[in-house]
Amino acid sequence: MAFCTGCSLLCDDIVVDLDGGKIGKTMNLCRKGHAHYSSIGSGRLTPCVDGSEVGVEDAMMAAAEVLAGADNPLLFGWGASTLEAQRAGVDLAKKLGGAIDDPSSYSQGLITEKIIAGDLPTCTLDDVRNFADVSIYWGDDPSSSHPRHMSRFSYFPRGEKRQRGYEEDREAIVIDVRKSPTAQIAADGFFKITPGGDGAFIEALVASLAGKIPKVEDKKRMLNLGTKLRKAKFGAIFTGQGLAHSLRGDLSGFVSLVGKLNEITRFSVIPTLGDYNTRGFNQTLFDETGHVNSVSFKDGVRHGREFSIARLLDSCDAVMVMGSDPAAALPAAIAKKLERAAMVAVGSHRNMTTDFAKVSVPMAVAGIEAGGSCLRTDGVRVEFDGLVRSDHLSDVDIIKRIMEAV
Amino acid sequence: MISVMEVYQLLPKTNCKRCGLPTCMAFAVALISREKTIEDCTPLLEEAKYEKKLAGLRELLAPILSADATETGMVIHPEKCYGCGNCVVACPVNVASDPKGTAIGRGPVSGKAILMVEDGVVKCVNVDECRRFGPEKVLCNACIATCPSKAIEFI
Amino acid sequence: MAGGKELTVITYRGIFQEVEEARGMYSDGYRDQSAVVALDGGDMKEMGIEAGRPVHLETASGDVVVAAKLSEEAHPGVAFMPASPWSAQLLSGEVGEDGFLELKMFTVRASSGEGRVTSIEEIEAVIRAP
Ligand code: SF4
Ligand code: SF4
Ligand code: SF4
Ligand code: SF4
Repeated sequence: MAFCTGCSLLCDDIVVDLDGGKIGKTMNLCRKGHAHYSSIGSGRLTPCVDGSEVGVEDAMMAAAEVLAGADNPLLFGWGASTLEAQRAGVDLAKKLGGAIDDPSSYSQGLITEKIIAGDLPTCTLDDVRNFADVSIYWGDDPSSSHPRHMSRFSYFPRGEKRQRGYEEDREAIVIDVRKSPTAQIAADGFFKITPGGDGAFIEALVASLAGKIPKVEDKKRMLNLGTKLRKAKFGAIFTGQGLAHSLRGDLSGFVSLVGKLNEITRFSVIPTLGDYNTRGFNQTLFDETGHVNSVSFKDGVRHGREFSIARLLDSCDAVMVMGSDPAAALPAAIAKKLERAAMVAVGSHRNMTTDFAKVSVPMAVAGIEAGGSCLRTDGVRVEFDGLVRSDHLSDVDIIKRIMEAV
Repeated sequence: MISVMEVYQLLPKTNCKRCGLPTCMAFAVALISREKTIEDCTPLLEEAKYEKKLAGLRELLAPILSADATETGMVIHPEKCYGCGNCVVACPVNVASDPKGTAIGRGPVSGKAILMVEDGVVKCVNVDECRRFGPEKVLCNACIATCPSKAIEFI
Repeated sequence: MAGGKELTVITYRGIFQEVEEARGMYSDGYRDQSAVVALDGGDMKEMGIEAGRPVHLETASGDVVVAAKLSEEAHPGVAFMPASPWSAQLLSGEVGEDGFLELKMFTVRASSGEGRVTSIEEIEAVIRAP
């Protein structure tokens, strides 16, 4: 069996025909995973320094030079890296006295931090498959982003206490601003909210759980939802970008809702994280510093939003981006700062960030061309070997090589 | 969905019984359920005056007769499929015949699954096991209701 | 920013965009999946925009031309756009008082666009420009 690092579900039942060392027919990969596997053959990054192609070794030495010469380097990315590379990355940040951050600082970092710290109850996706009778997808569209979420774990499969299939045994609730493909499946379980309306929805739900009349248009439907959640035996809430962005920095309402639900029955929270090992990075940094992102090692350990990529680009003098594309995802004004920074990009494929980098270093695609370990979106550890031979260095080898040279 | 009336309008409407059925209406039903083929209506094929009707009928039934349509009338639109496996895991035949694989959300292991995902899109095999197939067919729609993108339909 | 209609844009990710992204960001396929905006039918009529035609979107931060798509749902005043380099050109780089970047929701001025959809190379050129 092979693994898929196409998303943070890390599917482990993939069957691949290896045709003379090349990837042939695959079974069980979803469309996104299949595209991920196919991608090893196209659009790969080449080692470059200042726009001219060089050998990988030279590129790594140039990268080390950029970082070693900086007073305030920022090491950013890490979600699409193995645990081994993440560990080495934290060590590199320490050695450089630099800052380290990942896309969770503008995504679900706060939710993940509360889960890792034990302030929000969680469980594994296998528990969800075996026991959950209510799955709530909140600002989350796993059908699009994590295509096998519902079929492997959260809605369709049979499990220990869920032997009768989804129609009888499970309930899917989707809370979103648009009728996403996931909402399409949930049909009557879809609650459409206005943009930014998550806070108001939380208040209404808390009221209806307490048997009070919620302040929403369709009071009956909200009261019914309250009753349904009260009756749940094992509930799971899957959070997405939509919820994180709507609540921004203030999770207090959400945490208290989950607390209220747990006074009545059992509800767990599992974030649906983007990159295949976002959870791994957040855990690795938390174990080291007590924070999941935005940490500076300049004077001891400091944490705060001022060390997130959105703020730090004004003061840092070198950036290393590891397996990520912030220039494509972040506002143009921030992309401009990246373009002007002394930037090193390590990655498997060409993207906008690598286009803007002074130095680019190509790496192997973990799970296909190199082995390693990582944490699934629910925190379960997964280990895999590489499947095909590749000339590309693994992510951890690249970081270690750069670290030796700085 | 192709209606019986639409098909009927394109038949000779003579109730000559040469197809082995008592009426053209019955033949229309049999065509849609794929128990009969257009070729079973010999007058339509042989008589020149039905040429237009024949062409119209072939066009109307093309989706049913296309290579994509399996014997149950299932049509898969691979360009729409997410490969999510919802249909694979929800299909009652898969659940019954593959309890350690598709039934619990994984890829098939028993060799008896009828829906599976290959190269990122769904594929139907052993279609005669589908509950919509054969004389005791039932109107199962588990693979349609669970799909996020209407990639499976029955015609 | 004269003319056009004010719309609240919400970004999302779709599977076919992710598939094209894995195939390569510098492809027509990725642009076709990313440089689009799903509009409410009534809003489209009001602005005189037809499905598949270019729409000019502008904010204080930047502007792009993307292709119009008709939404199946009605959502007057709201538009949905895949999160991509195209939507990123419209985002403000200022963090809010709470230190957060707004990446999911913003207000644009939309009008029937001239010419063709902005290319990723053009976006890179704008970012590179002094
Ligand atoms: S759901 Fe995610 S991990 Fe599983 S096959 Fe699809 S992309 Fe790969
Ligand atoms: S053979 Fe053709 S014309 Fe005769 S009854 Fe059957 S369908 Fe009608
Ligand atoms: S109709 Fe029912 S039995 Fe047939 S393939 Fe679909 S889900 Fe399976
Ligand atoms: S047909 Fe629909 S449910 Fe089945 S794998 Fe494709 S997208 Fe998923």
